[in-house]
Amino acid sequence: MASLEQLKLTFFDECSELLQQTETGLTDIKNGQDTDEAVNAVFRAVHSVKGGAGIFGFEALVEFAHVFETVLDAVRRGSLTASPDVVDVLLAASDVLSDLVQMSRSGEAIVPGFGSECRTALEHLMARDKTGDAASQAGESAAPADFDGIEFTPVRADQFDGAAANADGIRTFQITFRPKPELLKKANEPLYIVRELRKLGELDLVAATDELPGLAELEFDRPYIGWTGTLRTTAAREQVDEVFEFVVGDCELGIEELADANSATLVEVPQSPPLAMEEPSAVTPAAAEKTAGSSAPGGAVNTALSAANPGHVPAAKPAATTTRIELEKIDRVVNMVGELVISQAMLGQIVNDLPEGTSNRLAQIVEEVVHHTRELKDSVMSMRAQPVGSVFQRMPRLVRELATKTCKKVRLEMSGETTEVDRSIIERLGDPLTHIIRNAVDHGIEAPADRLTAGKNEEGAIRLAAEHRGGRIIIEISDDGAGINSDRVLKKAQEKGLVGADAVLSDDEINNLIMLPGFSTAEKISDISGRGVGMDVVRSNIQDIGGRISLKSERGRGMMIQLALPLTLAVMDGMVIKVAQETYVVAMSAIVECLRPARSDINSLIGTRGMLKLRGDLVPLVSLGDLLNLNSTADESDDCVVIITEAGDGKRFGLVLDELCGHQQVVIKSIEESYGSVPGIAAATILGNGRVAFILDVEKLSDLAASASPNVAIAAKKASAAKVAIN
Amino acid sequence: MPNAIALKVLIVDDQNSVRQMTRMTLEEIGIRQIHEAENGHQAMETAAVQPLDLIISDFNMPEMDGLGLLRAVRGHPVARKVPFILLTGRGDRELVVKAAQAGVNNYLIKPFTAAILRQKIEQVMGKLS
Repeated sequence: MASLEQLKLTFFDECSELLQQTETGLTDIKNGQDTDEAVNAVFRAVHSVKGGAGIFGFEALVEFAHVFETVLDAVRRGSLTASPDVVDVLLAASDVLSDLVQMSRSGEAIVPGFGSECRTALEHLMARDKTGDAASQAGESAAPADFDGIEFTPVRADQFDGAAANADGIRTFQITFRPKPELLKKANEPLYIVRELRKLGELDLVAATDELPGLAELEFDRPYIGWTGTLRTTAAREQVDEVFEFVVGDCELGIEELADANSATLVEVPQSPPLAMEEPSAVTPAAAEKTAGSSAPGGAVNTALSAANPGHVPAAKPAATTTRIELEKIDRVVNMVGELVISQAMLGQIVNDLPEGTSNRLAQIVEEVVHHTRELKDSVMSMRAQPVGSVFQRMPRLVRELATKTCKKVRLEMSGETTEVDRSIIERLGDPLTHIIRNAVDHGIEAPADRLTAGKNEEGAIRLAAEHRGGRIIIEISDDGAGINSDRVLKKAQEKGLVGADAVLSDDEINNLIMLPGFSTAEKISDISGRGVGMDVVRSNIQDIGGRISLKSERGRGMMIQLALPLTLAVMDGMVIKVAQETYVVAMSAIVECLRPARSDINSLIGTRGMLKLRGDLVPLVSLGDLLNLNSTADESDDCVVIITEAGDGKRFGLVLDELCGHQQVVIKSIEESYGSVPGIAAATILGNGRVAFILDVEKLSDLAASASPNVAIAAKKASAAKVAIN
Repeated sequence: MPNAIALKVLIVDDQNSVRQMTRMTLEEIGIRQIHEAENGHQAMETAAVQPLDLIISDFNMPEMDGLGLLRAVRGHPVARKVPFILLTGRGDRELVVKAAQAGVNNYLIKPFTAAILRQKIEQVMGKLS
């Protein structure tokens, strides 16, 4: 049996969902989808929060929810129109409710007067309610045991005949039964028949005793007593027939359905024992009106599959069965699977090293183990996977509040909320995403008047989208605001000494300057986006989780920021490579292409490895041996391997190495605790041979190469110029 | 005088936390044979095959609300006579009138104490032993 505390937790979990429904529903209504169903759903959600809060004793929550619910009821009944300004008040109320739930959950003392501004707004709305019902309802404080002012008498079960005032579907059968002499001999008992009939409904019988002889003549094994009477039932004729099926030959039986003036709509109930309707229900016009008239909130009409209402039977949503598990337990399993992956890799290694043909069977089984381990890993990782929606759902409220604060009109559109990503990423995604969206509202979207002048919609739009692409999760935040003011950015960067006074930079490069540390162009430092700790912190946050951030901006049209994140921080598909005698691992998702180029395709430049001619493009090459200070023979040999990959800014470059050793799943072990953050090294792993290998941070490598040798930057520029020339 | 421990009761509510609290309250007054359903359809499935002595249902549920369930029960050949108590909120006065017309036995305003629950049940079933 669940304890009270556990039930409270369950209640708060329910509240999260209910609050989400409320917010989504109100947003839909604001966007014009104000169907009855949407309004009802919002009302029900708030009502449920209030109900539960009452049961568990969260008084402040109950009180606010009650006022909120009362206004929603007025909207639902149609006595208050859900105009945009009304919906805005309701949205604010859902925020307050959400805060109150949060405070109740954490046990925080609720400041008296919390949300009073919103509450006053709600009360003003109630005063608008034409019927005036709302005000009277809000007046009730403590829950009474009984409603006063209505006529209601409890109906006792034993006095209950089950008849509804609007008798629905009750038929009356006239039954006459006279047993023949053999009835008892065939082991039939008339009493059972009476009992069965009783189960079907109301039985009213009169015994027919005319065949009863005197006591002296009575034969013990002969039935004498018949009966006639009426049965009032909702059952079909077949069911009545069924009761007599074993005695049909041994009695005189008459069953006749009597016309009942009261029977109108036949209510067909789903899931019940076969209630075969012989003919479509004879729906009288009056009844049809009744079924059509009773709309929300009664779900009653939906269950009545009467001929007057063909069609929509609400399909029961298949609910996924869920259960609560402590995250710790899942993490333990993930760790264990990680170790298993390593062991399995080692096993694979050993088997590979065995002399050829030692045991095909062994190799086969190890293959299977590899396969199963991969499946196990995928399953376990999917347990940790959560939809990004859980991070996204904080954003609408953020945008609402910021827009109000900055007196701007902003709309947030989201897509891809169901895209799943490992918990570890989700946890680190919140802050950078919040910051980017704040920037978009604060700096990106212009004031309504300015937008109109620019020929745009008064309301700015921010689009937040997530999708899986190429083994990563791509999150795009775009807006239709003013874009980056590259002139101002360049000037500021020069003022702060971040860039040389005579540097020549492309627009893209200028725009990327905003991600440098210490950068902020806000004339007055608004408390919203802070003082210049903005985009560079965002960038390092993203890079810390192995992700990549890029941005594009069009002056006057808007800006787009793209985050490319790994799907998980725990395990990845890696390519094992060799540089000199050292083994490293590169993420498969970072590899665009692998090749063994012909010597003739490589042009040398001083200081860098060279340039690679690849299908008409020129791709700059970086020697890993050089970069990592190893004596790589690849530099000289004709036989080298090049991995084409993408740098942080999306530009392609090639890594030159000695050997490709194969690909395998690697468990990512962080080295930050022991070594801190090492540029170029993302993490470490244990290979199949039991040795430690570093996982290279490919995107950073290109930065390193560029900073180590300015020639690479020049080379990259030349390559893109050359590409333009070639094309 | 029905024996509390012999009573078979069905609780219908879409909120799990509320269902559990209602269950706990029923157990407080000695009722042990408790079925649960989270919506009207499930409730009808149970009512059609299980002999029940009482149905306690919330009103506020999606798809089929408490009133709809009441009507479905009252129209069902097997379950139609099962006593029905409807859970309502503080403001649901008119609802009770409609429910009476549809054949409800009693109503209960949320939140309720064990004492009031008992009182309402006894009004329908007679004194519980």
